[in-house]
Parts: sequence; C-alpha cells; structure tokens
Amino acid sequence: MSEAAVIGARPARVETGKFWILPPAALLALLFFYPLALIARQAFFDDSGMANVAEVTRVLHSRFFLNALINTVSISVAATAGCLIVGLVLALILAFVPFPGSRFVARLIDTFIALPTFLVTLAFTFLYGSAGMLNAGLMEAFSLPLPPVNFLYSSWGVVLAEVTVYTPFILRPLLAAFSLVDRGQIEAASVLGARPLRIVRQVILPAAIPALIAGGSLCLLLTVNEFGIVLFIGAKGVITLPLLIYGKAIQESQYQVACIIAVINIALSLGLFGLYRFAAGRLGA
Amino acid sequence: MLVWSRSGRLVLWALFALVFGVLFLAPLAVILLSSLAGQWNGVLPSSLTTAHYGDVLHGSAGDAVKASLVTGFLASALALVSGTWAALSLRLQGHALRRLLGLLFFIPSAVPSVSVGLGLLVAFSNPPLLLNGTVAIVMVAHFVLISAFTFGNVSAGLARLSPDFEQVASSLGARPGYRLWHVTLPLLAPYLVAAFGLSFALSMGELGATVMVYPPGWVTLPVSIFSLTDRGDVFAGAALTMILVVATLALLLGLERVAARASGS
Amino acid sequence: MSAAAFTGTNVMDIDAAKVRGAGSNVHFDKVSVAYGAHVVLHPLTLDIAPGEILAMIGPSGSGKTTALRAVAGFVRPASGRIRIGATDVTDLPPYERGLGMVVQNYALFPHMRVEDNVAFGLRAQGADRALIAERVRDALGTVGMSAFAKRLPRELSGGQQQRVAIARALAVRPRVLLLDEPLSALDAQIRRNMVEEIAKLHRDLPGLTILYVTHDQTEALTLADKIAIMRDGRVCSHGPTGELYRRPPNRFTAEFLGRANLLPVTVVEAAGGKGFARAALGDTTLASAGRDEKAGDRSLLCIRPQHLSLTDEGGHSNRISGLLREVHWQGELTHLVLDVDGTAVRVSTTRLPIALPEAGTRLPLFFAPADTSLVPEDAGV
Repeated sequence: MSEAAVIGARPARVETGKFWILPPAALLALLFFYPLALIARQAFFDDSGMANVAEVTRVLHSRFFLNALINTVSISVAATAGCLIVGLVLALILAFVPFPGSRFVARLIDTFIALPTFLVTLAFTFLYGSAGMLNAGLMEAFSLPLPPVNFLYSSWGVVLAEVTVYTPFILRPLLAAFSLVDRGQIEAASVLGARPLRIVRQVILPAAIPALIAGGSLCLLLTVNEFGIVLFIGAKGVITLPLLIYGKAIQESQYQVACIIAVINIALSLGLFGLYRFAAGRLGA
Repeated sequence: MLVWSRSGRLVLWALFALVFGVLFLAPLAVILLSSLAGQWNGVLPSSLTTAHYGDVLHGSAGDAVKASLVTGFLASALALVSGTWAALSLRLQGHALRRLLGLLFFIPSAVPSVSVGLGLLVAFSNPPLLLNGTVAIVMVAHFVLISAFTFGNVSAGLARLSPDFEQVASSLGARPGYRLWHVTLPLLAPYLVAAFGLSFALSMGELGATVMVYPPGWVTLPVSIFSLTDRGDVFAGAALTMILVVATLALLLGLERVAARASGS
Repeated sequence: MSAAAFTGTNVMDIDAAKVRGAGSNVHFDKVSVAYGAHVVLHPLTLDIAPGEILAMIGPSGSGKTTALRAVAGFVRPASGRIRIGATDVTDLPPYERGLGMVVQNYALFPHMRVEDNVAFGLRAQGADRALIAERVRDALGTVGMSAFAKRLPRELSGGQQQRVAIARALAVRPRVLLLDEPLSALDAQIRRNMVEEIAKLHRDLPGLTILYVTHDQTEALTLADKIAIMRDGRVCSHGPTGELYRRPPNRFTAEFLGRANLLPVTVVEAAGGKGFARAALGDTTLASAGRDEKAGDRSLLCIRPQHLSLTDEGGHSNRISGLLREVHWQGELTHLVLDVDGTAVRVSTTRLPIALPEAGTRLPLFFAPADTSLVPEDAGV
C-alpha cells in the first residue's frame, strides 16, 4: 500500500455527488455530440431517411475528395516531421547549450501557441510571396524578370507555416522532459570523454522519446485539423479536408457532400486523438 | 553544459538564431512592418505610415474588435464555469466512469473546427433550436472548441492540488460547499485564470468554425482579417492582425499578473 | 519562546480546563480496509482511552496511516465499526466527526493568514465572531504563535507552520486530535524540540485524546502512553510504552522499538513466581525475565545495547563473552560490535576501560537479569 493509494480510497458518502456531472455533460451532449450525430445522419441518409450509399460512394471515389485526403495526410506528415526536427534542435540548444536570455526566448516561442495560426501565413506572403521581400530582393539583385521563389503557393508553403505554428507544441513537452535529465549524468559522461553527439544519443534522446511521441502525435492531429493556414495561402492546388468541407458547405451549399467529407475527417482526427492519448498516457508525457 | 568548446557553442547559437529568426521573429516583424508600410515595391517599404491603423479603426475594425472581445469573453466565461464544474464533479465519479467522461470532455479539442461549425449549422438551423443566423451560434461554436482546454487546465490543477488541503478542511468541520468555496476554488485560482486566458486567446484567433457560422453584423477579427486580405488589402489586414496580436498578448499578460497575485507569489 | 506560552497564563488555564472534559475514547471494532482485493488493514480491534496518546508506529505500508484515515473518515472501512465516545462515526462524513487533524506537510491554507487558518474550522461550523476571536487567541497562545497572527503561511518556518497547524486543529475543540506523521517534514533539531512541545501540550490539555501516527520510534517512546506497532496491515503488538519496550512480546516489536540484541537460547528452567527463567546460550546459562516459556523451548533473549557492560561493577550476574569486531567512538557514546557465538551483539556504553580495546580481542559482557526478557522464537505476525 502506498500513500497515494490511501488518498485514492473512497471517501465516505459519495453517492449524492454523482449527479453533479449532469449539467456540464448535458451541455456538451447538446452542443457537441448531438450536432456530431446529425452530421453522420446527414452524411449517410437522405431527407426521406433512406440510406444513401450511392452518394457516399460517389464522394469517396471523387477526385476532389481523394486529392484533399492525400494533401491532408502528406502535409500533416511532412509538417509533423519538420516540427519534430526543428523542435528537437531548438530544445536541445535551449536546454543544454543555454545562452543569456534563452529562458525569455523559450517563453516567446511558447506564446506562439496563443496566436492565431493564419498570422504566420500572412507574414509569409510578405516574406516569400511573389511580390514579397525575398523575391523582390532576388529580382533586384539578379535583374530577374519573374519572381524566382514560388514554394509558398504549393504544399511546401503550408508545411513551412505549420512547422512555425506547431513547433511550440513539441518544444513545450521536450523542455519539460529535458529539465528532468540529470545534469550530473551529462557532466560525468563528458568527464569520461563522451562526445556531445554520443551524450545526446545515449543520455538525452531516451529521455526525450516520450515527449517526442506525444508531441508528434498531437502535431499530426492539429495539422490534419488546420484550416486558417491553408485558407490564407489560398493556393488552388492545395485543398485539404477542412478546406473542402468549408468550400462544399459555404461556397457550394452542398451540405450532404460536406457532411460525408466531415465524417471522414472527424474519423481521421479521432483516430489520431486516440493515438495521442495512448502515447501520452502510456509514456507518461 | 553539453558543448564545452566556445566555437562549438557559437555555431549552435548561430543555428538557433537562424531558425528562430526565420521561423518566429521574421513573421512577427514583417507583420508589424507591413502594417506600417506606405509604399512597398522593393525589398523594404519606401515609406512608413500609420494610415492603415487609422483606416481599419474608422472602418469596421472597431466592430470586429468588439465582436471578438465579447465572443471571447462570454465563450471563455461559459467554458470556465462548465469546465471547472465538469472537472470538479468528475472527481465524485467511480474510476471507470471518470476515465470515460474525462475522455469525452476532451474530444471537442480533437475535432476539426470546420466540422464543429458544420455540425452546429446542421443541428440548429431549424426551430425549436434556431440559432443559425444569430450571434449565439458564434458563442456556442467558440464555447465548444475551447471547453476542452479549460476542462484540461482545471483538471491538471486539481491533479496537482494536494488532497491534504481538502481533507484537513473536512476534518475541521467544513461541509462540501463551504470547502469548495473557501479552499478548493481559491487554491485553483491560478489554474482558473490561466485556463480563462488560454481559452480567450484561442477564441480571439478562431477562424474555422467562425467562418462557417457567423451571421452578418458579427464579424470577428480573424474573419475580417481574412476578408481584407482576400480583397487584396493586405496592409490593412496586417494592421488588424497587429491589433489582434496586441490585444491577445495584453490580455494574457494582464491575466498572468492576476494569476500571480491569486497564487500569492 | 513557546515555553512561556505553555507555562500557565490565565487564558491557558481556562483553555485547559475547557478541554479537559472533552476527550473521548476511540474504539476500533474489527475495522478492516481493502482496495479491491488488496487488504491494507486486517480486522483491527483497539481502544484509545480518553486523554490517552496512542502512537501507531510501523514501517511504511503497515496500515497505520490507513487506520488514522479511517478515524478521520477519508477511508471507508470494508467492515467493522468505529466509535468516538458514544457515537458510531463509521457512516458519518469527516465534517461531522468533531476531529482535529494535523498532517505531515501542515497543509496550511496558503491564501489565508495565520489567524484565518486557525479560525477556519469555527467559521466553517458557523460559530459567532466573539467566540472565534477568543478561541483563535487561545489556540495561538497555546502553541506560542500569537505574534504571528497576521502572517501568511509562506512567511513562516516549517516548525512555525506546524505549530499553526496544531493551533488550527485545537481551535475547534476536537474530541480527538489526529496527528499524521506531524514532524517528519522537519529537521532533526526542530523535530526534537517539537516532540517536547507536544508533550507539554498534552500535559496542559490532559483530556485531549491523541492518535499519533509515526514511523519514528523516538517520537513514539517520548510521547505515547501506549504504542501500537503495525506490520503488514495488522497490529503486531499493543501496550503501555514502557512495558512494550522492556518486555517486547515478539521479535518485530523488539527490533522496531529501540535497538535490541536477540540471542538464540534454549529455556532450561521456566520462570516460577517472581523468579527468573534460566536459559542456555551454548554452554553458558543465563537468568532472564521470562513469560510462559517451558523448559526445552527455543527462545530469544532480548537485551538492549545500553544494558550490556564491559565490567562487573554493578554486580551483574549474567556473563557472556564475545570477539570484538568493530569499535565506533562517538564522543558521548561508544558503540561496540561483538561476535557472540555467531550472533552480532551491539553494546552502547558511556564507560570504557582506559584504553580502547582493539578488534580481535575477546571481551566479557555483563548484564542484569532484570534488563532482559525472553521473546518467542517464532515471533512476528
């Protein structure tokens, strides 16, 4: 028996308290789960209540849906990989090669979590857009007739913007994990002649793996769901599932098609959410 | 210290400065710069002006700021009450039910915002629950999206709270209501304030669900920034973005102060 | 500084008089606690008399904290009843049990000043302002913390915080005071002082029933009228402090309460009347206080390290000898470890021969039969 077990024991007379959960649960059910259920109903049944297999099959085989699905997944995977690499590099430097003001910088990056995602896209159009600073500079310097840098209006623009926006979500758990790494262990390894890369590989990375897995699966989830960045870039070729839902519902008023796509998108998101919860719970991150 | 040689450290710091500069600093700086740009045909603006701020403030920006603040405040306040209530009452449940409900309260954070908006449109476009076209549907959308974050924050706070405080209070004769009001909630105050701040910030920047459901006359800051830039009025869009950033950061910093005072440090 | 507070101002005397009649007995009637299939407290039957300090000691995981929490109402017994005074409190919520509780980490409410912390219980029970003011003054006076009424907990040292926590528990005039490892977060020096202060507190409030849970045998020996030693969820011995120390009923008690040398002996002659039993250690026959051993029983002869002497000045009648293994001089005390027929025997002594003996020498050891007891060989639970 541990002390924690004692604390976790049933207190006397809890039965009366069981019903207190009802008001917030009812609110959530009405405002969230009921609409979710209606999306599913609208997706699979037509107005007369008949199962609508033909329409579902048509949408799932359509080019626009498959393109959006491939875009969503590939952008999400690429952005998450980018976030993991950038986050790991930044966290390693912040935690183990700190410089004056590194704490402040860490907090500054952290505030990006609170800022709207489309801010970065807007900034990127000024920086890397066809009339942006980079292209203007290159055209001036080399007397080019056309803007040489065009990646912004491809998937890569979205990926870069998402890396900026979601790296803090990797950085935060990584820094927390690194703060628990025993400094004495690193110093001892250094004294014994281990090179920095070897220490990173053998001492630091094992401690970071739970944070990387939990942060990475959270990044996958958030990038699959990302809407503002893709909308603001507005490139014709880069349509993801959330953007497709918006387009079908608001611009084309095809609610049923929107609902079918939404069901797929939600299923994908919930799967990734499950992965995240499993990773975070399993690894204690 | 992992790297002992001075040159090694300098190389790493240069790498950090490059990544940090390109990914984080440059976007913020360039938004600020473009919000102040008069003419911008070359690498840098040829003149600076505050005219964009004047323009947006005389235009519909005032309404957008108001819509965002009111939406953010009401949705966050409701989410705070509901999230705190849920987190507190979840403790009274049995182990299995607690896990299940805890998961359900988190799910809204996992569903794409556009789908949340779509669901509200589908569910509340007909009487008796006709919310489509009203301001309320925007509030509801924001509430649903941020409720999981307040719930998560308050739950995390509760998990860190030593059970000793509440147990000592009970043993001294405090009934559950008295104990909640005089012990649990004051001790949770820093988490409540942080939860409120984070959900307010999320609401201020929310776009996906809002574009699905907003009625004419209740255009939030992100939506009006989008329509400005969509029209090609990027400098005004940048100015409005700066207003949004400053409002969000001011709010977070202010609330951080309150939280610091609440926790008594 | 708190000595002044404890030594009778008028307020104090009134306070003590009021509390004197208030102590209740606590009765565990076959109380057991389980988490699922895991039993942490086997059916426990135990009585704490009014005004008694019962120390529950035992290693961590022995069930002592669980027993205290069952009294407090934070743990619901799987079976059995708990009575405080005439009231069966088994089904009462914690806030209706009329207790005071002090926990290891003080758990002072960080957002309240010292006086508000102390007033908490009375305010929660809806007492009127005048009474609250008077009780807060009394309780802070009792623990010598009157000067700190307006401070916040974080402005106090650990020892001061613990005093406030005790005052907070006393202010509600509890029927029983529950102390859950109250001193284990304090430094050794402060802990010694606090033990003495709690002892004084109990002299001033003799009617107060105290259940004191600790893993520290010194605290228990200093404070408790009775001790219950817990092991693996059961009481392995229970009795008046001095008796439990002098005549441990089993091996675990002997070794947990103070230090003990346990020599394996065979009983030669049972103790008759007031006489001593005789037991054989190898070829040596020793006299020892006995229980109900019969001749031929295998037993353990318990002798405390400080009762062993290197010289026969006291006219001790028992004599053994052993090979000196280690000598540890610690200033006031010298600890010796000897090998007596394969058993390591510890000796603590203030008096030594002029020259420290060297390891490897054979030394005689003397001890009085009255200082010994026989502990059953198949001891424990």
